[in-house]
Amino acid sequence: MATLTVSTRVGLVAPWVEWEKRCTDGRRLLEAGTYALTEGAIAAGCRVFAGYPITPATDIAEYMSKRLPQVGGYYVQSEDELAGMHACAGASLGGLKAMTATSGPGYTLMHDAYGWSITNEIPMVVVDAMRVGPISGITGAPGQGEFYIARYASHGGNFETIVLSPSSVQEAFWLTIDAFNLAERFRTPVTILTDQVISDMWEDLFIPADYDALDFVIPRKHNLMMPFYPVGSADLDVPPNLIGRGTGVCVSAYTHTEEGYDIEDMAAQWAQTYRLINKIRHHTDQLARYETLGLEDAEVVAVAYGANARTVKTGVLEARRRGVKAGFVRPITLWPFLDELYERDCRYVVCELNYDGQLVREVMRAAPDKKKVHFMGKSAELHTVAEVAAGLEGVARSNRVPELPYIWTEVR
Amino acid sequence: MATATGTRTEILISGFGGQGVVRMGQILGLCAINQGHRVTMLKSHGTETRGGYVRAQLVISPEYVDSPVVEHADVFVAFSQPAYKKFYDLCDGTVMYDPELFENVVDDAPERHLAVPATKLSKEKFSNQLFANRIMLGALTRVASLDYEAMRKAMLEVIPRFHEQNLAALDFGYRLS
Repeated sequence: MATLTVSTRVGLVAPWVEWEKRCTDGRRLLEAGTYALTEGAIAAGCRVFAGYPITPATDIAEYMSKRLPQVGGYYVQSEDELAGMHACAGASLGGLKAMTATSGPGYTLMHDAYGWSITNEIPMVVVDAMRVGPISGITGAPGQGEFYIARYASHGGNFETIVLSPSSVQEAFWLTIDAFNLAERFRTPVTILTDQVISDMWEDLFIPADYDALDFVIPRKHNLMMPFYPVGSADLDVPPNLIGRGTGVCVSAYTHTEEGYDIEDMAAQWAQTYRLINKIRHHTDQLARYETLGLEDAEVVAVAYGANARTVKTGVLEARRRGVKAGFVRPITLWPFLDELYERDCRYVVCELNYDGQLVREVMRAAPDKKKVHFMGKSAELHTVAEVAAGLEGVARSNRVPELPYIWTEVR
Repeated sequence: MATATGTRTEILISGFGGQGVVRMGQILGLCAINQGHRVTMLKSHGTETRGGYVRAQLVISPEYVDSPVVEHADVFVAFSQPAYKKFYDLCDGTVMYDPELFENVVDDAPERHLAVPATKLSKEKFSNQLFANRIMLGALTRVASLDYEAMRKAMLEVIPRFHEQNLAALDFGYRLS
C-alpha cells in the first residue's frame, strides 16, 4: 500500500506547482471558472463534449460549443445527462478524450453511465458544479452535497473513484488538465467536484499561449491488444481500449473476462474487483493533491475544500493574528480520501457547505480522536471570515464552536 | 491599482438586473489585472436576468486573494434602494448612490455618502438613462483613486460598441466634483 508523507510547511502539493513555473508565455484574463474548466479541457486534448445545460454548469456547455469546432472537436447537445455521459463513454472508446458537465440534478442521472465507464475502464472527465440542494435547491447558490455521491457514483460497490476539487479559477484550469491525465493513466472517469462559486466567479486567469507545447499533457494512446482488461492487476498506464478498428474488445455491464466477455464466476469477480479497486488504492501516492498552512504548531486545524476553503483560509490567518495556533488543510483530492492529512493529534474544525455533515465524517474516521473533530456546516453561502475565526477561537479556547446564525454544529 | 491603502481593496456593487452591475465589475477587474493586480469577482443574482437583484463583489490586491467575499467594503456602489438596504452594513467606506433611484439613505454617516446623479445626468447628456452606469464608473474611478487612463482602456476592451458615447460618459463621471 502506498503511503504519503504530509509536509507541515505552508504550501501546495499538486503537479501544477511545477507546471506554473514552466509556463510563462501566455495571457492574463479576467474570466469565470466555467471558462477555465473549458480551456483546461481543450488544453488537455478534449475533443468531445456531450451534455445537457444546467445552472451553474451551463456556461461550460456554451463555451465548449464555441471552442470544440475551432479545434476539430465535436459538441453534442444530448437529450439528457444520462445520454450525455454515455455519449462521452462512446467517444472515449472511439479514441477521443471526452468531458461532460452538470450540476446536482443532472449528476444524479449519470450514475448508470458511471457504472459502465468505471467497470469498462473508460477514461473521461465529469464536472459537477454543485449547488445547494436537495434536488433543485437554489440555482445560484453554492453547496457541497455530492461529496459522498461522487465517491459512490455507481451502485453495486466494488470500485474506487478519483475526485478532485479546485478552489480558484486558475486552479480549475490546471486541475482540469490533471484530471484528464489521471483519467488516461488510471483508465477511469475522473470527477471534478466544483461548486457554484468557483464556476461562476471571475478571477485573474493565466492561459498558456500554446497548448501544443504543454509537454505534461498525457496524450491518448490506444490498447489494440489482449488483455483488454488487465483483471487481477493494479498496473497503471495501460492504454485505454479502442473499439471499432478490428480490436475485438467487448464492453459489458456484466462482470467480464480479460477480453470483455460476460462471466459468472467467483474468480473473475475477484479479479475484476481487484483491478478496479487496487489500480487506485495501490497508487494513492500519485493522487495526493492538497494545500496546508501552519500545521507545524497548530492546535486547531480548519479543514475545507472548494470555494469556501478561500474564506476559511483567510479565517485561519485572522485567528492566528488573534493568537490562536490555527492551521489549515485543504484537500484537493477528495477521493481517494487522504487520511494522512489528519494524522496529527489536535482539534479539527471542518467547514463545508452542507448541514448534514459529509467531509466531517471522513475526518472523524481518519483523525486520532473523533471527539476532537468539530463541524461548522453552512448552506447556500460561503462561510465568512468572521465566522471561521470565531469558530477556531471558540474551539481553541473552550473546545466548542460558538453558536452562530445559520451554522450547524451537530453531526449526529 | 493605486488605491488609498495600497493593499486589499473591496468593492461592492449592487442593483437590479440590467443596470450593468456585473459589467461595471468586469471593467474594474480587467483594469486592475492589466495593471498587474490579482482580482476576484463574485457575482450573485436571482433567477431573473432583468429586474432581479444582482450583486458583484470585487477584491483587488497585489497578492493572491484568499477570501473573495466582501465583508468590509471600501466602496459600495448602490444602484437601488433594496440593494442599499441589504448591504449597507457590509460597507466601512464610501457609499456611492444614485439619488434618482432612492427614497432615502440612513442619516448616521453623511460623510460616507456620495450622491452621484448618474441617471439624471445620463438623461440630460445622452437623452436616455443607458449611460448612467458609465457615469457612475467614472465617478468611482475618481473616488477610489484608480488610474483613469487604464480604466478607459479596460472599458474599451470590455464594451463592444458605442465607444464614443461610453468614453464621454466615463469622462463626464470622472470630472464630477
